Amino acid sequence: MHEPALSLHQAGVSYWRRAGWLRGEPYWALRDVSFTLYRGESLGVIGRNGAGKSTLLHLLAGILSPDRGRLINHGVRPTLLSLQIGFLPYLTGRQNAVLSGILLGLSRREVERQLDEIQAFSELGEFFDQPINTYSSGMRARLGFAVAIRLEADVLLIDEVLAVGDAGFRKKSTEVLKDRIRSDKTVVIVSHNTGMLRQLCDRVVWIEDGVSCMEGPVGEVLEAYERHSPTEGRLRTPVK
Amino acid sequence: MRVPQRYAELVRYKVAADLRAEAARTYLGFLWWVLDPVIFMLIFYVLFGLLLQRGGEHFVQFLLIGLVTWRWFHITVFNGANALPAGHGLIHQTYLPKLLLPLVAILTELTKFAVVLALLLVFLWVSGFGPSPAWLALPALLLVQLALICGVTLLLAALVPFLPDLKPLIGHVLQMLFFLSGIFYDPAEIPEAYRGYFLLNPMAALIDAYREVLLHGRWPGGWMLPSIAVLAAVLIVLAVAILHRYDRLYPKLIRS
Repeated sequence: MHEPALSLHQAGVSYWRRAGWLRGEPYWALRDVSFTLYRGESLGVIGRNGAGKSTLLHLLAGILSPDRGRLINHGVRPTLLSLQIGFLPYLTGRQNAVLSGILLGLSRREVERQLDEIQAFSELGEFFDQPINTYSSGMRARLGFAVAIRLEADVLLIDEVLAVGDAGFRKKSTEVLKDRIRSDKTVVIVSHNTGMLRQLCDRVVWIEDGVSCMEGPVGEVLEAYERHSPTEGRLRTPVK
Repeated sequence: MRVPQRYAELVRYKVAADLRAEAARTYLGFLWWVLDPVIFMLIFYVLFGLLLQRGGEHFVQFLLIGLVTWRWFHITVFNGANALPAGHGLIHQTYLPKLLLPLVAILTELTKFAVVLALLLVFLWVSGFGPSPAWLALPALLLVQLALICGVTLLLAALVPFLPDLKPLIGHVLQMLFFLSGIFYDPAEIPEAYRGYFLLNPMAALIDAYREVLLHGRWPGGWMLPSIAVLAAVLIVLAVAILHRYDRLYPKLIRS
């Protein structure tokens, strides 16, 4: 196939949780995850709530490092698509767009060059130059999305943020993001929505209880997942 | 764009954004940077200068020098020590070298201090304490204090995520140091037997040196500046090592 971008080998991530005064015990959010992400593919990650999907994205983004096993980066700069990152309430939409863009990894000049597009896409009009604490939450979401979608990361990591804003904007933002995912960019998209992954991905990895239990073509993995978890979305009983 | 350049740009823009946001939060905005030490000065002037009649000569100038330089230390340490928990949103959304967060706090406060210091020097000049050759020692004093602030702030910022109880403690220790740094009294009044110990507090020694230079035109002497500089360098190296070593552990310690 293509060249590898990132690979995980039996990777695990543990947190400390309190077990009484001044005592803690490790809690393995990811226990044993192995798969390879190839350049140019759109890889879906399916799993129930609490299966470790978000921790996996943080691991791939380089925010966390594995506590056991290995993460090998084959020379890419993965970026988590974070909406509204770094927003400061008393600054204008324009100033926040620049700040957020820089935090996402764009250069100041790159963001400033695209400010007109960001303003147009966010449909904020005059409000673009007002402080964002005068915004509704929908307006903030639109601004956050308009900035984040400017990101040209070589590996884009997405955590179910496809739909923001009102119905109209939701449709538009979903379309734009789908275009990005379908393009030849490398994308990892995490979800518990099988329908969306079926539409967008080339391959899927299934994470269950911190373990990667299946990896392969979309149809096969999602069918196995649906057979296994007919009550998708409901909270599982805690497993010790 | 190369990575160090990217981070430099990020820090610059973030400092400017934080300053702007802080000024926009109040009606008086930037004016508060100046009002803050002036209000403190008035409180101590009324209490010690008028009511207790222990002000001494040029008490206003004396107080302002102590307060302005102390507030710089106090605010930077207090805000910077909490930089990682305060930046949890950023820490969980993107990879950033954690050093950058306290650095932003240090540079934000440095900018504010620079403005206030400039006004203080102007005030001293117009009130009869104009530049003397000893003012040439001022940059060295300022650099040493900056280094000390960096050392203390970075080290606390590196430790607070491990020991959250440090955070309330820092407020109390700063309060205690405020009383022990000779801000509203002259260290010369302290009995000889204790004065040596008193000046072991680097902030007390620095404030004393600022007054020597600015009010009396005398050069700061002795081993004071070099020893504080060495102490600061040790703290900075230690802090940077800890921040670097646990760079990817901090996101786990700071849960939003």
